[in-house]
Parts: sequence; structure tokens; C-alpha cells
Amino acid sequence: MRPDLSPVSLYSRGGVVSPSVKGQEWYQADDVAEEYDDKRFSRGGQLIDRREKTAVLEALAPLDDRRVLEIACGTGRFTTMMADRGADVVGLDISSAMLQQGRAKAVQMDVADRLEFLRGDAGRLPFPDDHFDTVVAMRFFHLADDPESFLREMRRVSREQIVFDTFNRFSARSVYNWALPMGSRLYSKSEVAVLLAKTDLTLRGVEDDFIVPYGLYRSMPNVLAEPIRTVDRAVGSLSAADHLASVSYWNTKVR
Amino acid sequence: MNESLLEILRCPLDKAELTLEDAEYDGDEIVSGTLVCTECGERYPIEDGIPNLLPPDMREGTPA
Repeated sequence: MRPDLSPVSLYSRGGVVSPSVKGQEWYQADDVAEEYDDKRFSRGGQLIDRREKTAVLEALAPLDDRRVLEIACGTGRFTTMMADRGADVVGLDISSAMLQQGRAKAVQMDVADRLEFLRGDAGRLPFPDDHFDTVVAMRFFHLADDPESFLREMRRVSREQIVFDTFNRFSARSVYNWALPMGSRLYSKSEVAVLLAKTDLTLRGVEDDFIVPYGLYRSMPNVLAEPIRTVDRAVGSLSAADHLASVSYWNTKVR
Repeated sequence: MNESLLEILRCPLDKAELTLEDAEYDGDEIVSGTLVCTECGERYPIEDGIPNLLPPDMREGTPA
């Protein structure tokens, strides 16, 4: 579902100012285990990977025995992490090749007993109503042509929570959007608010991050990415800069 | 896939329960077989241990 060049996104202020020790532990474990993702998230991309995972962990905590479905799980970057933290996870993707990577990773990380993968369509989920506690969809909505129908279907199978990200309209991302293999769908805050209202979801929290477009981070060595990240963070902490953010993380509750 | 996954899988078209046919196992894992909808009869293959619950119009070889 995700093209190789799909945009990368990142998360909230708290985790960056004071990175959690737990977060660093899992990141390093992943770094050892995931040669595949290592290619994609090398250099500046490591920052993004780390922050994005922290965003998911914080939104879902505590993960113990939580039933989680991840939509468009790709190679299992999040599913393996969530299973490692004690959640019972199902990863759904359209691509068989991606899922085989995910399975190999699950075996490597010794989490295969609490993680299942299957191929399926995000718009027609093969699960009963209200089965999962949480549905996660990272880097998915920028590829969705009809976000309302996808969100509605996610809500059908979620009992409690839906966590997803969007790339924002009017952000610096617009500038290089043309370079993506397929047009990315960008959202304004009010569009997402309307979507939530239509699908009976209540906003628990939203975090904005990464004013500098992700493409810069990915092509940059860490030694350069860190200082730029610091500037980015300083600008991002001003409330007036919120509408410039490239990515938003939405933590929503089923009504 | 583990057999326990079968309990939560439903037909993507009508959300009815599925039954497992022609299952081959490797230990506790189901490596191949077919999931059949108890309502509409649609068949979903298990390929290399991964169930393919894509609706028929989205499977390989299906004209767009």
C-alpha cells in the first residue's frame, strides 16, 4: 500500500524534548533486527522512525494485552514493536511481499505468537464489529481517496480508539508534493474535525511536528539532521506555527 | 497463521463467519488452505501462511 517513497511522518513535542529511555531501548533492538527498514530509515530517517514509534507508543499506552489492528502495516515496523510491548496485534496490508517481511521480523523478534498478518482491503475489513481496542493507521490517510469511508470502517471494528496521522495542507510539504510517486492527499485541521464528527469519533489529542519537510531529513546524515531538528522544534513550540506543521498525529476515541 | 485467528476473521463482503477447508499445518501454524464464507460461499486462500482476505475484485489477475 505504501510506495517506497511514501512520506515519512513524525510526532509530538514531549517525546522529543525528553526522549524516553524505553523508546531508545526498542529503537536499538529494532535497529539490530530490521535490516530491511534500516535501508529506508537510515541517516536522517532514524529521527523520523524513532519519533513516529514514540508517537504510537504514547497514544496506545498501556499496551499490555491490548487488541490492536494496524491498517497498511507494511513490513511490520509498528506491529512488531506493539507486540513486543505486550499487545495482541493483527497487521493488515494489501501487499504479500511486505507481509512476508513482517513475518520474518516477527520471528526474529520472538513476537510471532502475538502477531498475525493478513492481506485485506482497508475499506472492507474482514473482522466483526467492535473487535479491537485500538485501530492504528500510520501514513495511510495521505493515500486515501475517500478518507471518510475508510475511517468509518475502522470505527466499525474498534471498540475504543483510533490513532492515525495526516499530512497537512498549507505545510512546506506542498512544495515537493509533486515529487511523490502518487499525489499525496493533504488535510487541513478543519477537514479532519469534520471527518471525526461524521464518523462519531471524539478527539483525545492532536500533536503537530516536523515543519521542515521529511525529505530533507531522509537525505541527511544524522550529524546534520540533529541540529536542524533542534531549530525545527523551537519553531514548532510556538503556537502560531501550528498551521505550518507537516504532519499531525490524531488520537481519537470511539463515541 | 495461527488457528486462533480464524475466530476473528470474517468475510470482507458480508462479515459472515468463515470455515476452513483443506488446511495444511506446520506445527500450530496453518500454512495453506481455503477460508469459505458461510453466507455467500466466497473462497479466500491462505498463501504461504498468510490469509488473503482481499475481496475478489482486488485480487491478482482481476481486471481493474
